[in-house]
Amino acid sequence: MALARINGVRIVGIASAVPDQARYPDEFFDRFGEQEVKKITESIGVKKRYIAASGICASDLCVAAANRLFDEGKWERESIDTVIFISQSADYVVPFTAGLIQKRLGLTTGCAAFDVNLGCSGYVYGLWMASSFITGGGMQRVLLLAGDTSTTVSIEDRSVAMLFGDAGTATIVEQTKKEGEYTFVLGTDGRGAQNMIIPAGRCRKPSSATTRVRREDENGNRRSEEEVYMNGAEIFAFTLAEVPKMVQQVLAASGKTLETIDYVVLHQANKFLIEYLAKRMKIPSDKVPLSLDEYGNTHSASIPVTMTHCLREQLSRKKMDLLMGGFGIGYSWGAVNCTVGEIVMPEMIFLSSDGVGKENIL
Amino acid sequence: MTRQEFIAKFETLVEVDPGTLTGDSLLGQDIHWDSMAIVGFIAMVDENMGFTPAPKDIVKSKTVNDLISIVSLGIKG
Repeated sequence: MALARINGVRIVGIASAVPDQARYPDEFFDRFGEQEVKKITESIGVKKRYIAASGICASDLCVAAANRLFDEGKWERESIDTVIFISQSADYVVPFTAGLIQKRLGLTTGCAAFDVNLGCSGYVYGLWMASSFITGGGMQRVLLLAGDTSTTVSIEDRSVAMLFGDAGTATIVEQTKKEGEYTFVLGTDGRGAQNMIIPAGRCRKPSSATTRVRREDENGNRRSEEEVYMNGAEIFAFTLAEVPKMVQQVLAASGKTLETIDYVVLHQANKFLIEYLAKRMKIPSDKVPLSLDEYGNTHSASIPVTMTHCLREQLSRKKMDLLMGGFGIGYSWGAVNCTVGEIVMPEMIFLSSDGVGKENIL
Repeated sequence: MTRQEFIAKFETLVEVDPGTLTGDSLLGQDIHWDSMAIVGFIAMVDENMGFTPAPKDIVKSKTVNDLISIVSLGIKG
């Protein structure tokens, strides 16, 4: 177990953005049958989600969220000294996306910027990195961007077709002397890599005519090797093995109990899994906010999206003791216990595709 | 948990009438058996027997008896 106790940092603003195009499960009635779609929807809990138009990137959503934070907060853009872009859907294979974001946001060329390829655990990892750079690396104010778009999901694969939504988020973390400890627990198990993977299209298995063809698997789902494969049963088993342990570890390290935590904000994997985990860990359901009915599983953005959707009003006006937990692809997992509140927290941004990408990105 | 209790719980999980399944009932034929049912089965075993069965063993199963053998440590009689 990787355990980090960090003092001297504070989240000061969180903003979340989704594309303005809502999608509903009924679009799959013809493909999978109405009864099957309703059964899947009942289990995964995704009644609505937002999917970006072709060519709209995770970075566009993150940039919109960051711009709103700069508009509503009092921070000068030139005060950002680090940009972390956490995403599995970069603008280009190369170069990295955070560099383009530095330019688009008008940040100083004196800032450090880089991408991190993480999914469901990414937001917690991002907070850990941001906090560590501030307390151990001399940075003052970090812009943490987390977001993904679902461009590599086969609509003919019912195990993933109706689950994911697109979102981009921006969080500002800065140095402070006032806030309490941020307690992190982080973990990795690469044995689970094969259970959520896009097998082809990069160095290990380059794109070819063969890897681009959709083929039917033993469950009747069709996808190519350049589209995401998810073994739901294996991921579920992993989650049961690691998430309760991770939550116990972070509580033990911070000396807290579930009774004193205001909210447990979990990665919005799917409704069945979150509700089962909450029941297993004996967390009252009203302490586990859900946003996936409205936004789907938004990968690394799901924790801030849930905070924006469910806790915005409270987090804007008061400090609360939160436990955030991310887990999934990799396998990778992380939890943090921290106090968050009295922060700049704009309403959910619904980004129109008009004009996006027409700016001079390169 | 007894074998009969296990089958009764399993019948509820896969939404068939009580008393309709036996050890020889075929997964995917007598029982609607997809990834959601498998996840439900893992949760059922985890909740009632306190361990997580390995998905790769579940996927290999053909009958209810095969599932019972996976969880046999928790089955009495």
